[in-house]
Amino acid sequence: MASAVAASLSARREQAPGHAAPRATQDPVWVKWLLVGCALTFLAFFLVLPLVAVFAEAFSKGMEVYFAAFRDSDALAAIKLTLITAAIAVPANLVFGVAASWAIAKFNFRGKSLLITLIDLPFAVSPVISGLIYVLVFGAQGWYGQYLEAENPAWPWLHAWLIEQDFKIIFAVPGIVLATIFVTFPFVARELIPLMQSQGTDEEMAAITLGASGWQTFWRVTLPNIKWGLFYGVILCNARAMGEFGAVSVVSGHIRGETNTMPLHVEILYNEYNFVAAFAVASLLALLALVTLVLKSIVEWSHARSLRTETIDR
Amino acid sequence: MSIQASGITKTFGKYTALANVDFTAPSGKLVALLGPSGSGKTTLLRILAGLEFADPGSGRVQFDNEDVTSVPAGKRGVGFVFQHYALFRHMTVFENIAFGLRVRGRSTRPTEDKIHERVRELLHLVQLDGLEKRFPTQLSGGQRQRVALARALAVQPKVLLLDEPFGALDAKVRKELRRWLRRFHDEIHITTVFVTHDQEEALEIADEVVIMNQAKVEQVGSPQEVYDRPATPFVHRFLGNVNILRDATSWGRTGPIHDNGRLASDGLVYVRPHDIEVHPHGADTSGIPAVLRYIHTAGPQAQLTFEVVATGEQVEADITRSGLAELNLKPNDLALLKLRPTHTFQDYAI
Repeated sequence: MASAVAASLSARREQAPGHAAPRATQDPVWVKWLLVGCALTFLAFFLVLPLVAVFAEAFSKGMEVYFAAFRDSDALAAIKLTLITAAIAVPANLVFGVAASWAIAKFNFRGKSLLITLIDLPFAVSPVISGLIYVLVFGAQGWYGQYLEAENPAWPWLHAWLIEQDFKIIFAVPGIVLATIFVTFPFVARELIPLMQSQGTDEEMAAITLGASGWQTFWRVTLPNIKWGLFYGVILCNARAMGEFGAVSVVSGHIRGETNTMPLHVEILYNEYNFVAAFAVASLLALLALVTLVLKSIVEWSHARSLRTETIDR
Repeated sequence: MSIQASGITKTFGKYTALANVDFTAPSGKLVALLGPSGSGKTTLLRILAGLEFADPGSGRVQFDNEDVTSVPAGKRGVGFVFQHYALFRHMTVFENIAFGLRVRGRSTRPTEDKIHERVRELLHLVQLDGLEKRFPTQLSGGQRQRVALARALAVQPKVLLLDEPFGALDAKVRKELRRWLRRFHDEIHITTVFVTHDQEEALEIADEVVIMNQAKVEQVGSPQEVYDRPATPFVHRFLGNVNILRDATSWGRTGPIHDNGRLASDGLVYVRPHDIEVHPHGADTSGIPAVLRYIHTAGPQAQLTFEVVATGEQVEADITRSGLAELNLKPNDLALLKLRPTHTFQDYAI
């Protein structure tokens, strides 16, 4: 039976060169081009066109007007605030992410699956809710507000210092940073956990039997093994930190020149019918996205190359 | 440096990996920890290394009379070779071997020249000269194994512990490498414990074999001792082929069963195929009559399968091919089976 099938298969294969018989894995040419055409049209309409539109609109009144949009002090403040926020949120999540994935991938402990679920929480929750949580906790009506107005507060020295500094969290920079950290928390950890789990703990064990301390093991063995995954996570984390709108919008209060980040500034300008300026600032964010994509490709490419050179001439 | 572990118990949740185990590795010997998977042998090795710790209060580990029970792995002075080598994949062979020297504190760290000298010395010792710039993925399995060994030896360990050292290699390399390890051990004379599930491997190269089963030690002895005088039914079955005979009385009349461990504690007689003698039927009547069922002659010896006439049980006998020619037996012929008289092994006394 099996040999009969094999014989008929080989007979068909011999016929094949004469007339191009359709193979099971190959569709007719028109189907192929129809599918490719659909995909390309979709991409053009939903991804390329908006991107082109952003730049076209931004430059619609000429270079002069485009660059004028950045000379506005409010725009500069928004750019500065966005950079500050990312500069705090990204390193913080780098440390948290590495620590969390190290703990999850290399150790067994009670409540591990709960921790994994918690890390995913920011992805699961709407960013607006994330912002609202901070308003409820740190707002004037929240726990923090009550603490500031309490008659006999705990830790009087902290209370006095906070009053003296007029330290605000909501509608101020700390709130924006907190909301951004929350929203971008999963990026680094999600990237590293599967990577570290697949690498196992044998190399760390080996390092320890050779007399390395915990820090030495981390810096010399664990970190070099995860560097590309870590870099990738940081790039994505940074892109989201600079682009986050929902959560930041809730906690920021939209105070011009003080608590506006770039995405919020774009919205304000747009609502004021200042289209050129809105699109000019938006083009910066779009540019950031493009740079992120290029960096991501470079990281993926060099990671693949480092794997290749390691296996060359075996 | 000798190793003693006594009263070691280790449980993982409800699972008992080791139940009150005692273990000794005499100084300078090559000791095999042999057992089927799940017998606890790797757990015991990891406890000796300090990578795991025995259940609190359940015994102790000593290196030459020094108690190291609660000393962590990095401070015990053990060289550990992992089953899958665990080489640092982002480092060259050179950096892998130098790792243990580079992570030392400033005061005890050798100079760069000394490190180079030591690494080259070790590469030569494991016969990998000239490969220091390769990455682990550019090496064959046997080469990786030897890099792992050199890396473990770089820190001048007091004892060497190997977890299934040949487990991930193909059969031919495995055989070469285990003979190489034996010669290597004869050169460096460091107390070595290796874990294996392959009885042939353990019996071939070890000075002493510790046979484990179900979280307990079944028998300890030289390869010759454990093979010729298995202490328990498990050891009988685990070390090579064995006939398990129910009728101890009848077989007892054909040869010795009491003084050589053949009659095990479960009342059954355990006899290896080469300890069954085959005699022509009718010559004398003291044997057990059996019918020859199958003959396998592909190999150095003829393997015969008999069916005992009285009980119907199957008995395997290995005899020389010339012996078979003399007997002139064919399938379905009758023959008489006897137990071979035991040898005394004074010649092998160690």
